[in-house]
Amino acid sequence: MPKHIFRLVSLILGLLVVAIIAKPFLTVDSFYRFGHYRANSVTEIAAQEPVLQTARYCEGCHSARHAQWSAGSHKSVTCEICHGAAQGHPQNGKLPIPKDAVKLCTQCHEAMPGRPRTQPQIQVAQHSSGQQCTVCHNPHSPKIAAALVKVAGDAAAGKQRAAACASCHGTDGISPNDTWPNLAGQNAAYLARILAAYKSGDQKDVAMTPLAQALGDAEIQNLAAYYAGLGCKSAPGKSAAGDAAAGKALAKNCAACHGETGGGSNPAWPKLAAQKPGYLVNALKAFKAGLRKDPMMAGVSRGLSDTDIANLAAYYAAQSCQSTK
Amino acid sequence: MKNDDKPSLAARREFLSKLGRAATCTGAAIGAAALGVMPNVSAKSEPAADAGSFPTKDYDWSKHQWGFGVDATKCIGCLRCVEACKRENDVPVNAHQFRTWVERYVHLEDDPEVHIDSQQDPVNIEASGSEKEFRFANRYKDAKVDKAFFVPKLCNHCTHPACVQVCPTGATYRTEDGVVLIDHGYCIGCRYCVQACPYGARYFNEEKGVSDKCTWCYHRITKGLQPACVEVCPVGARVFGDQNDKQSPISLFIRNNRVQVLRPETGNAPNVFYVGIDKEVN
Amino acid sequence: MEPIIHFAPYTGWVYPNETVFEWSVLIAVYPYLTGLVAGAFTVSSLYQVFGFERLKPVAHLALLTSLSFMIFVPTPLLLHLGHPERAFNSTITPHLTSAMAMFGFFASFYVALLMLEGWFAYRPFIVEQAQKRTDLLGRFYRLLTLGSYDVSEHAMRFDRKWIFALAVIGIPAAHGLHGYVGFMYGSLKAREWWSSDLMPVIFLFSAIISGVSLLAVLYVVSCKLRKITVDLACLKGLAYTIWAFIMVALVLEGLEFANIVYKGREGVDMIMQYVTGPLLVPYFILQFAIGAITPLLWLSYMIWRGTTGKALVVGVTACACLVLFSVFMMRWNVVIGGQEISKTGKGLLNYHLPFFGKEGALVAIALTLAPLALLFGLTRLFPPWADDTTHAHS
Repeated sequence: MPKHIFRLVSLILGLLVVAIIAKPFLTVDSFYRFGHYRANSVTEIAAQEPVLQTARYCEGCHSARHAQWSAGSHKSVTCEICHGAAQGHPQNGKLPIPKDAVKLCTQCHEAMPGRPRTQPQIQVAQHSSGQQCTVCHNPHSPKIAAALVKVAGDAAAGKQRAAACASCHGTDGISPNDTWPNLAGQNAAYLARILAAYKSGDQKDVAMTPLAQALGDAEIQNLAAYYAGLGCKSAPGKSAAGDAAAGKALAKNCAACHGETGGGSNPAWPKLAAQKPGYLVNALKAFKAGLRKDPMMAGVSRGLSDTDIANLAAYYAAQSCQSTK
Repeated sequence: MKNDDKPSLAARREFLSKLGRAATCTGAAIGAAALGVMPNVSAKSEPAADAGSFPTKDYDWSKHQWGFGVDATKCIGCLRCVEACKRENDVPVNAHQFRTWVERYVHLEDDPEVHIDSQQDPVNIEASGSEKEFRFANRYKDAKVDKAFFVPKLCNHCTHPACVQVCPTGATYRTEDGVVLIDHGYCIGCRYCVQACPYGARYFNEEKGVSDKCTWCYHRITKGLQPACVEVCPVGARVFGDQNDKQSPISLFIRNNRVQVLRPETGNAPNVFYVGIDKEVN
Repeated sequence: MEPIIHFAPYTGWVYPNETVFEWSVLIAVYPYLTGLVAGAFTVSSLYQVFGFERLKPVAHLALLTSLSFMIFVPTPLLLHLGHPERAFNSTITPHLTSAMAMFGFFASFYVALLMLEGWFAYRPFIVEQAQKRTDLLGRFYRLLTLGSYDVSEHAMRFDRKWIFALAVIGIPAAHGLHGYVGFMYGSLKAREWWSSDLMPVIFLFSAIISGVSLLAVLYVVSCKLRKITVDLACLKGLAYTIWAFIMVALVLEGLEFANIVYKGREGVDMIMQYVTGPLLVPYFILQFAIGAITPLLWLSYMIWRGTTGKALVVGVTACACLVLFSVFMMRWNVVIGGQEISKTGKGLLNYHLPFFGKEGALVAIALTLAPLALLFGLTRLFPPWADDTTHAHS
């Protein structure tokens, strides 16, 4: 064989040998351990830290909220859907409370072709006239449960039991006193709910608590039915303390639940039209101070000044109780 | 992925530059051909090789066989899954690249064509306000809709994945517990896998220079958590679990429903099982 | 630098992730270059193996052309990679089920083969230069001799055997290389436009016509530059080769298209909408009518009429240019066209070709022309001209 051929073949074979020897050195360690891949990469991927932390993580600190949420109809909507991923919280600061509830809530609840019928959906434009959803709904437990309470009391029996209430609330349910509420024509479900709250201790009042505790469940239903059935006779009242015109502007924020003039017919919430102004002022202040507990009212009363409260009371007191708006 | 902590990689890079020079020589090329087909002869010890479980000490992949179910009849198209996935997995913030996305199928009266849209549709981007948030525009609210439904999509984690078949390096693979993963430290970024996936489940991460796709949140499921999209789905349209466990959500889902998979004719044998999808969905 | 992603506009329904074109113009350039390599090598083997004596004037040029294009074949791929520094991963741990992993081996094997073939063909010249020159270039030639100046009849007999053997191995290697490029596309079931059994053969035949055409053009240009007359017999030989293979290429492409339409599988509506819409000009007009049918008819006419002289030179050169253009359009229509038809079969995308940038038109043009610069350099080191008396031809 000529010299050049021999040298060429040797060169090729030499390089081949070099390549074969180099191959194991060039192959990264964990390659081929389980298959044609780097086994360590599985460990690397598995070692990444989760970003979403699950509701159980939130429960540790926010147990009360967690309890309320997990008992409600939003229990399938986990904390991090609305508040964002909890990784780094609380060390790195607070998680946001969504500002634009309409935008957030309608992601799921805007009526849209394609959504299953079982999904609660609303026509956004007609539902709340642009108000934030949280005005009426508690996002942690959004179902308005009281609205569903059926009052099936006996008005006649209620009338007899009502004799004990007459000294304060008037024989016909029209209070003689500025600080006690009128009851005639009030929504039955609301009356029943409040009486039950006094009875259970959820709501406290020096006078009402002992009285309500003496009532049976049936008696509460009877009373609610009786007062709701009474015709509203109270004349629109006047309040020296507030400016009804200023109150009207503020009352727009209340209209979604209580109606434009406080005559709202949703049985879950009280009628306010022609109510005693002194009582309205006290009630709002009690909500604001947290003495009366209601997640919705706590939110909306928080921003009201004493003047605002007086103005609102003056406005509602001046409305006709015949109104259903 | 940091290469610094893998000294072997650094050493290898040094070799590579040498090899690069050598490759221009005739013999190296032929040699490379031989070394490629030769089985690995390295018997190096595995530093992290615990005698116990793999891939982590709390998780043994030989005991699981994961599966995913989608009940399209439940999906409300809220896209919480899409946002959660982007956040959880550091997916580029835009309305064009996704590990999971949701499609909307709408049949209108007197129109034989099905109307399909998803997050990349300009109308939906407009409705969400930016490419950072996701929302379905209510574009059919005044139309006469015959039939409409949403279909969540994600990587099918096929038993015979076309993407793994075509990967030239072994940077993507199927794990023992049935998840198709991508090794971001090894991928060369050729995007052959992106082309090969019939479901459009893969995208190319320009910033990292590698392919990316759904991992079923492998870092979560190996810690006993649900994938992020399953975790946040408010209506239970997404189901995840271990097919080895006969009482797991996915086993029940498969047993109690007539399930189907997407594009069975490709032979990829997907492991995402669908209920309530229509003939147009693929 | 901020990575800029262009989101392609689309009509109909496409998957969200499809709105980014992952394979750019560079991936169209890559099979184009590979094709030129395979085609040019075919010419060299027609002479070396099959004894087409009339092709002798271009035989060595064909080898050098093949080599210079082959060296540039990996560059568009490397430029396109997300991590070019990891490119050797596919050589160190090649995934045997991947068509792409085999590229490294096919390509390096083929580069090696071309270099060996060239080395043997030029060995008498190298030895002569090594003995004659004393400058730096002389050292280069001396290195190439591997320290043996043996050009005896005994040694040359060995060399001729090697040349023949290498050329015989080279034919399947070159065609395998290019057939495999077609397989890379044809084996992808995700895309109806690519997924075809005919794809490898179509790539192969279009490769042959493009390579032969390139040689025809290069030969005519080199004759003009060197101010010598064109060997008409040789040019006619090239023209016959183009003419024969262009028909096969046309038939195959026609069959492929007919298959898609006739089988009419899911998504064919979208394909029809595509080929009669956005693809009408690039596919039917540019690739077929202008790029393939025109040269076929023109060549047929010249062969029929026995055209000769200047008209033949002009005609063949023009036809060759048209074929080169047609084959590029074919690569473009496959690579870009395949991605413009959505995997959903219900929508079309629109590729935007940037001019600047890593994957822009400028880089693509530069990469296509770069091998010519290398070829120019190589012809200085290793003159391929058969008429050159300084060059002892084998």
